Formats: sequence, structure tokens, C-alpha cells
Amino acid sequence: MTAALGAHKAGRRRLFLPFFLPAVSLYVLFLLVPTVATVVLGFTSWAGAGDTPRFTGLANFGELLASDSFRFSFLNTLLYIVVGGVGTFLLAFLFTMVLRDMRGGKTVRAILFFPNIVAPVALGMFFGIVLIFRPNRQGLVNFVLESFGIDAVKFLAPENVTWVVTGCLIWASAGFYITILMAAVDRIPPYLYEDADIAGASPWQKFRNITLPLTWDVIGVAGVLWTIGAIKIFELVFVLAGPGTYSPPIQSWTLGVYVFDRSFGTAGSPEYGMACAAAVVMIALVSVLVVMLRRMMRRDSVQF
Amino acid sequence: MTVTAPRVPKPTVPPRVAPRRPRPAPGSRGLSPLRLLGMAFVWLFTAFNILVLYWLLTATFKTPIEIFTKPFALPYQWFERGDPFRNIIYAWSNAGFGRAFLVTVVLVAVSSVAIVLVSAPAAYALTRLGVRGSNGLTNFIAIGMGIPFQTVVIPLFIGMAKLNLTNSLFGMFLVYVALSIPFTVFLLTGFFRSLPDELEEAASIDGASPLRTFFSIMLPLARGGLITALILNAIGLWNETLLALVFLNENANFTLARALFSFYGAASYQSEYGGLIAGVAIVVLPMLVLYVLLARRIITGLTLGAGK
Amino acid sequence: MATVTYDSTTRYYAGNPQPAVDNLDLEVADGEFLVLVGPSGCGKSTTLRMLAGLEGVDGGAIRIGSRDVTNLPPKDRDIAMVFQNYALYPHMTVAENIGFHLKISKMAKSEREERIKEAAELLDLTPYLDRKPAKLSGGQRQRVAMGRAIVRRPQVFCMDEPLSNLDAKLRVQTRTQIASLQRRLGVTTIYVTHDQVEAMTMGDRVAVLKDGVLQQCDTPVGLFGRPANLFVAGFIGSPAMNLIPSTVIGESATVGGRPIPLTRAQRAELTSDKVVVGVRPEGWTIVAEGIDATVDVVEELGSDQYLYCSATTPQIDPTDSPDAPHAITVRTPGMSPWRPGEKLALAPHPGAVHLFDAVTGERLPD
Ligand SMILES: Nc1ncnc2c1ncn2[C@@H]1O[C@H](COP(=O)(O)OP(=O)(O)OP(=O)(O)O)[C@@H](O)[C@H]1O
Ligand SMILES: [Mg+2]
Repeated sequence: MTAALGAHKAGRRRLFLPFFLPAVSLYVLFLLVPTVATVVLGFTSWAGAGDTPRFTGLANFGELLASDSFRFSFLNTLLYIVVGGVGTFLLAFLFTMVLRDMRGGKTVRAILFFPNIVAPVALGMFFGIVLIFRPNRQGLVNFVLESFGIDAVKFLAPENVTWVVTGCLIWASAGFYITILMAAVDRIPPYLYEDADIAGASPWQKFRNITLPLTWDVIGVAGVLWTIGAIKIFELVFVLAGPGTYSPPIQSWTLGVYVFDRSFGTAGSPEYGMACAAAVVMIALVSVLVVMLRRMMRRDSVQF
Repeated sequence: MTVTAPRVPKPTVPPRVAPRRPRPAPGSRGLSPLRLLGMAFVWLFTAFNILVLYWLLTATFKTPIEIFTKPFALPYQWFERGDPFRNIIYAWSNAGFGRAFLVTVVLVAVSSVAIVLVSAPAAYALTRLGVRGSNGLTNFIAIGMGIPFQTVVIPLFIGMAKLNLTNSLFGMFLVYVALSIPFTVFLLTGFFRSLPDELEEAASIDGASPLRTFFSIMLPLARGGLITALILNAIGLWNETLLALVFLNENANFTLARALFSFYGAASYQSEYGGLIAGVAIVVLPMLVLYVLLARRIITGLTLGAGK
Repeated sequence: MATVTYDSTTRYYAGNPQPAVDNLDLEVADGEFLVLVGPSGCGKSTTLRMLAGLEGVDGGAIRIGSRDVTNLPPKDRDIAMVFQNYALYPHMTVAENIGFHLKISKMAKSEREERIKEAAELLDLTPYLDRKPAKLSGGQRQRVAMGRAIVRRPQVFCMDEPLSNLDAKLRVQTRTQIASLQRRLGVTTIYVTHDQVEAMTMGDRVAVLKDGVLQQCDTPVGLFGRPANLFVAGFIGSPAMNLIPSTVIGESATVGGRPIPLTRAQRAELTSDKVVVGVRPEGWTIVAEGIDATVDVVEELGSDQYLYCSATTPQIDPTDSPDAPHAITVRTPGMSPWRPGEKLALAPHPGAVHLFDAVTGERLPD
């Protein structure tokens, strides 16, 4: 094999290490080593700087399970991933059905995409102001509701805020997933839809028999992207649900908020060990979900 | 029987004028109620987004009272008082956004360039040098995209604190560069992989050294990809909050997102909504400008990984 | 079964003031195999797609039988279409592909399977019913596309260059299969191709289009024997007909110094003194004294031989530019002893001369 390679190839191979090493060492040093450290620290009791970690086995995880704040965090995170994901993808599918042969489709996509490049903090604050409940000086949404004679709603109260964040999340992410799916839909040859027209297929039948099977792989990848994006949701919740400077009420927590609160958040004394244990749960959850998703979406590849 | 096309257009046909819009195919014209509903929904959704942007832009110039009682009106009170930019000036100088803006611009620019400088050779090495196992290595790096920052931030903070690199912009820069590598390398491998082999071979036949080939042939060819990577990283870092929250805790070092975060509590407590909205606008508007200029590049760049 | 009628049908595309199909009048008889032929971009596909309902109609009407289908959606037209790329669904098996239209129209499963089986037998696809299209050869894919059309038992088949993705040999083979299948089923068929051999061998009649305008619609023999204008004369036949411009002086035109007489009727039709004399390569005889020419290239096909000659002295048409040597193609029997550089003298067969008005391009009456 090497003998067949010209001096040209061999010379180029010598470039590999100097080119690859800087990036990979930063990657290992700043991402992999800390991840491993987090996993190890998850099994220790450690208050934080000044304290020394003591190995406590699974005690942290037992404590997590027993604590209300973690249960809220875990379930809310799952809710964002599942409900938010289903909502976003349904919305995206609806849009692909309509946008495929709609004039101005490109413009619509570009407009819907914009929230994706806005800082989640800014989105959160914006929604915070728009959704605020204050009799006489209502936020925009309650202002509109009241002007239609409907009672104003306490959107940001702890019992509602998770759903509100889900809605905001769907709204902000829809454009991204619409764009991904539409790019896949645009690659489907138009004559397949023409043949379906001749057969007399309804929009739903076209979606079911052409669009869905031929974008299946992209949907799978998009699902993975959604999962790894939604698992770390933090700023939006932190800003919308709480006063902003310290952690919001625990009903609205996510795993991301939990980790932050137990380590750098200002409420309570830090418990780095617990924070690391919760972070381990995050990695475990994202891995399990991604593997599950890949399993679910697996099928023979389709070329066209 | 021979049928011949008549030499002159038939007299019954009126003079031809091309229709401005040719008729659509008969099937597509049947706007079923379902489809109509779908279109209405799509347009409403889009209109809502535009309304949101309008609200943000106008609220930037409103007093808190106007923001809440006349959400759709154009701003006038600050204009009447001859101080239309009052909110922006407040945010800029009183709330520290001016300094944060400068810090962010410099930090984001330097970090993005550094990220690309480190990632481009790595992506090139992974795709073009024909080294066995590069696919595995690419995946090894790509997995990094799936690691939530929350899982690295605690040990990273401890380690950086030991080196006195917390609450320092240089430390922030290091963290930003390192944590952006997986995405950038992954993005750039896609670009490098799509380049043709022949050029490199031709260059080496012409006697260019491998290093020279990389700098004078491959980098210019991948320029589009590099610029996309630069822009996407700049956007990502501009909006980054969690890491800034953890690593920066002195006003002088705050980035915009971090400053906004700190300002939120105080502003809502003092009902300084005008300044707060101005702060949001200072974070959002540069992105909007960038987006208007480069929408296509940003969209394709961000959605590239999923397509293939 | 049904006839198909285009009645002054016109089609525009956005942004183009020229119509893609211009006032098309065409009548296809019940059970007829009509071929649409013409150069690329002449509007063949557009003509077909209007019939299928995939394009709107901007003027005129289209009828199938006595039904005006101009504004009917495709599904209500009772047509089947075979696309150039076959439009097979990559994720469905052959059987599912063939049965897709029936499934959409909610046909009962048992009947559907019966029809699929029948079509598969007719097209020798039975062994492949469970395969996906990606694992079929080009010819098999083509047959699946045919199968999908015939299971519908439609009134009209529309086929848009269904053979253009096959290699030359398979194309010849499939050509005859399609033609005989169509005769057996007796379904009115409109078939688009840009290959004139396909057009001449398959069609009951052939319609020649150019720039969206119908030039001539006739049987292959009629098209070949009496082309209606210069375009058709040059388009049909390979190698192309020799078209030699000339000037009428008195009662005849001259080619290479030899007179070509015109009848009184022909002279009456002329709009100027310019004519074009058309002679097919097989219309020449080699004579002792005639139009002098030099052989430039000899193309030996075994069964035939084509001589590409230039006639220089005397000028074919004295009014033409004196330096332009006129190429003349001559067909001679295979293995004739001609070599490049040799001189010969040519004369057209008496019945092989076609005359066209040089200004309008129209054929002069015989
Ligand atoms: N969707 C379209 N939009 C605009 N112009 C079109 C469209 N489809 C076809 N045309 C134009 O209309 C004319 C006729 O096109 P058509 O596809 O019918 O040609 P054709 O005879 O089928 O050619 P070919 O042999 O290359 O398939 C061409 O000039 C083409 O450029
Ligand atoms: Mg065509």
C-alpha cells in the first residue's frame, strides 16, 4: 500500500500531525477531559472550591432522585425535548406541505429562520416583556387579549411558564427545522409529485407517500440535532421564569438550570458534586435519546 | 393526407399578447380549503414574526408607558421631548452596554479568527491527506457537538481558576476557541471534502510542497467555507451566555449577552423597560444587519450538516 | 378509448413573450400512435404536459373524446404518463410502484393485485415485483414505468422520451416492444421524442414541431416523401436532404448549370424568383454528364455508402457567392469503389426533386 503511494502522498502525510494536533489537543483538553472529570466528580461529595471531593458512590444520584428540584428539572427537560420536538416537527411538516409550491416560500423561510441567530437571553427578555402580567400595564399579549375582552393570563407564573417556554422554543426553532426539511424536500425530483398529481393524490397522500419517506434520513438527523439542542436549554428558562439575577422557582427548572444553580447560581451554597451528577444525567439522557432515535429511524437507504 | 400549418395566423385569433402570468396547471389551481387554511397559517406565522421585529424596533424608542399601553403605535414621547435616542443612550452609557459592545466585538472577532485558524488545518488533515482512520477521528471530534456545555463547565472553571484565567478575557477567548472546534472542524471537513482532487495533484506535479499546496491552493478554494465558518462562529459567540456567565464576573469584562443578563433583574425592578429593550436591541440588531446581508450564507451554513 | 384534439392550444411561460406552444391544431384518432418530434426546446414536452394537465393552457382547448379537459385536474382526465426519468418511487417495490395509482384511487386490494400481476406478466416483470427500483437495470425500470401506465387502463398514454435513458441497442429493442404493446392495447398514444428514427418507425403519424409551431403532421411515408416545408425537409431523413438554393429563370431553375423545370402551377405559387431545390442523398444518380462534383469524404456503412461531395465548377447557383463550394451528399450502394478526390457527375432522379419557395420556405405544389 505505502509502496504504491508516490512521494507526493507520503510527503503530505507528514503534515497530518502538525495540522491536526492543535485542534485536537484543545478539544481533548477543554472538552473531553472536563467531561470525564465531571463524570468522576459526579460520584463524589464536593461543595466546591476550598473543599476536597470525597468519593461517595451513587449517593449523589440517590439524592437527586429524592429531590423535588431535580425531578422537576428532569421532567421539564424531557418535556422540552419531546413535546417541543413533536410540536416543532409537526409545524415544520405543515410548512413543508404548504411551502413546497407556494410563491414567496423562500422569503417566508428566511423570515422564520431569523430567531435562530438571536441570543436566547435576548429572546427570553423580549418574551418576558411581551408576556408580562401587570394589571393596567399589561405586556403585549395580555394587552391584545384584554382588548378582545379576554381575561389576561399569568403566563410567567411557575405553573404556566414551562408551557410558555415550550411555545417560545417552538416558535424560535421552527425556522431552522423548516429550512432543513425544505432543503431535503427541494431535492425530491418534481416528477414524482407530478406522477402523484396524475394519480390524484391529495396533499396529505403526497406527504405520506413521497415527502415523508424521501426525507426520512434528514428527519432523523434533524431529530438528533433537536435533542442535543433542547437538552441544554437554559437561558430562556432562566430569564423567562425567574427574576433574572438568581434562579427561578424550581417548578420551571431544567437540567441545565439545575447544574448552574448548584454550582454557580447564587441561591444556596454550591454543591459541585450534585451539579456534576446532574450533568452526568444530561450526558446519559442525550446519549440514550440519540441512540433510541437512530434505532427508530433506521431503514434501508434510498437513493434517488 | 398532408396537413400543413397555415402560412398566416388564423384570422379568428386576436393579436397575441403574452399573458403577464401564464395559467397554472389545473390541478394546482383548486385551492382546497385545507390548503387555504395552511397558507393562511403560514402567512399569519410569518406576519407574526415581522410584527415582533416591528415591536422590538419601535419599543426601542418608547417610554415604558408607551411600551405597555400603546404597543403597536409609533414612538412619540421621547421624540416630543427631543430625546429620541434616550433608551439607547441609557443602555449604552448607564448600563455599560457601550463597553460591553466593544469587548464583545473584539473578543468575538479575535476568537472567530482563531477558531478558523486552528480548525481549517485540522479539517484539511482529516479529509485530504489520505490518512487511515481519519473518518473515525472526524467522528470523534464531531461527537463533541453533542456534549452540553453544562457538563464541562465545572471542571473547566476549577482548572481555569487554578491558572488565574477566570474573569479574564484571555481565558474566555481560550474557552471559546476550544469549545467551538467540534462544530467548526465538522463544518469545514464538509467543504474540504467537496473540493476536487485534481488541483492538488496538479500542484504537486508542478513541484509545490504540500504545505504550499495547502496555503496557496486549498485555502483559497475553501475560502467560501472559511468565511461561512467565521460568520457562524461570530454569531454563536455573539449570542453566547452560559460560559460568559460562569467565567466573567466583573462589569469591565462583560460581553453583551452577559451584560444584558445582569441588567435584566435591575431593569425590571426599576421598571427601566426602555433601557432594557434598547439593550435587547443592541444585542439583536447587529445580528439582523448581518442576517439581511448574508442570510443565504448563514442559512445554508447552519443547515449544511443536516442535509447530507 | 378516445380521440385527442388540440384546438388552437397555446401555452406561455412566465417571462417569455414567445409562446412555448403556439396555436396548435392537432387531431389524434382513436387508438392512433402519434409521435411528436422536433429539435430541443420546440415545445414537445409542453404539448404533452398540457394534455396531462401538468401545465395550464393559455389559449384554445384540449379535448379527449368529446370531453373538454382544458380545465380538468390531471386525475380526472383518464390519462397515464410515462416520464423521461420514469418517476419511479425509490422507496417502493416494483409492485408498489405499479399499483400506486390504483391504491390512490382506492381500488380494492384483490383487484389491485390482480392488475399488477397481469401487467407484470405482460412486461416480464414478475420476478422483480419485490425489488426496489435502485436494483433494476435501465430497461427494467423503463418497463416498470410502462407497467404503471398500463395498469390504469387509461384512455390515453402520454410518453415523454421514455427511451432516451437507454443505451442504443436496448432502445431499438424496446421501441418495437412499446409499439406492439400499444397496438395490442389499442390505447391512443402520444409519444414525444427528438429521435427521428424513433418517430418514423413507431408512429402511425408524426407531428413535427418547431419553435412551438406545428410544421406538418403526416404518416412517416408522407412526411418523408412530401415534406411540407424546408424545415421538415431538412429535419426528417438522415443524412439530411440536400437543399440547394437556386434562381428561376424563365421556366426552370438551374443547379450546377443543369436546368430543373418548374410547372406552371409551381411558378404561380412562387413569391419571388428564388427557389430551393431539394434532393435526398438517395435521389441522385451518377451519370456521364451532369452536375460536376468532387468527392471529399467517403463514409462506408457496409450496406450503403455516403459520398460527401463539393460541387464547385460551374457554380451550382450562379447568383450565389462564387467561392462557396456546395456540399452534396450522395448515397451509393455499399462497397462502391469511390475514393476521396475523385470526380463525378450527378443528376437527380426525375421523381426525387422537391421544390420550395426560398422566401416562405413552403413546398411548391407538385
Ligand atoms: N417551466 C418552464 N418555465 C419557463 N420556460 C419553460 C419551462 N419549461 C419549458 N420552458 C421553455 O419552453 C420551451 C419549450 O420547452 P419544452 O420542454 O416543451 O421543449 P421540448 O421540445 O420538450 O425540448 P426537449 O427535447 O429538450 O425536451 C423551451 O424554450 C423552454 O425553455
Ligand atoms: Mg422535453
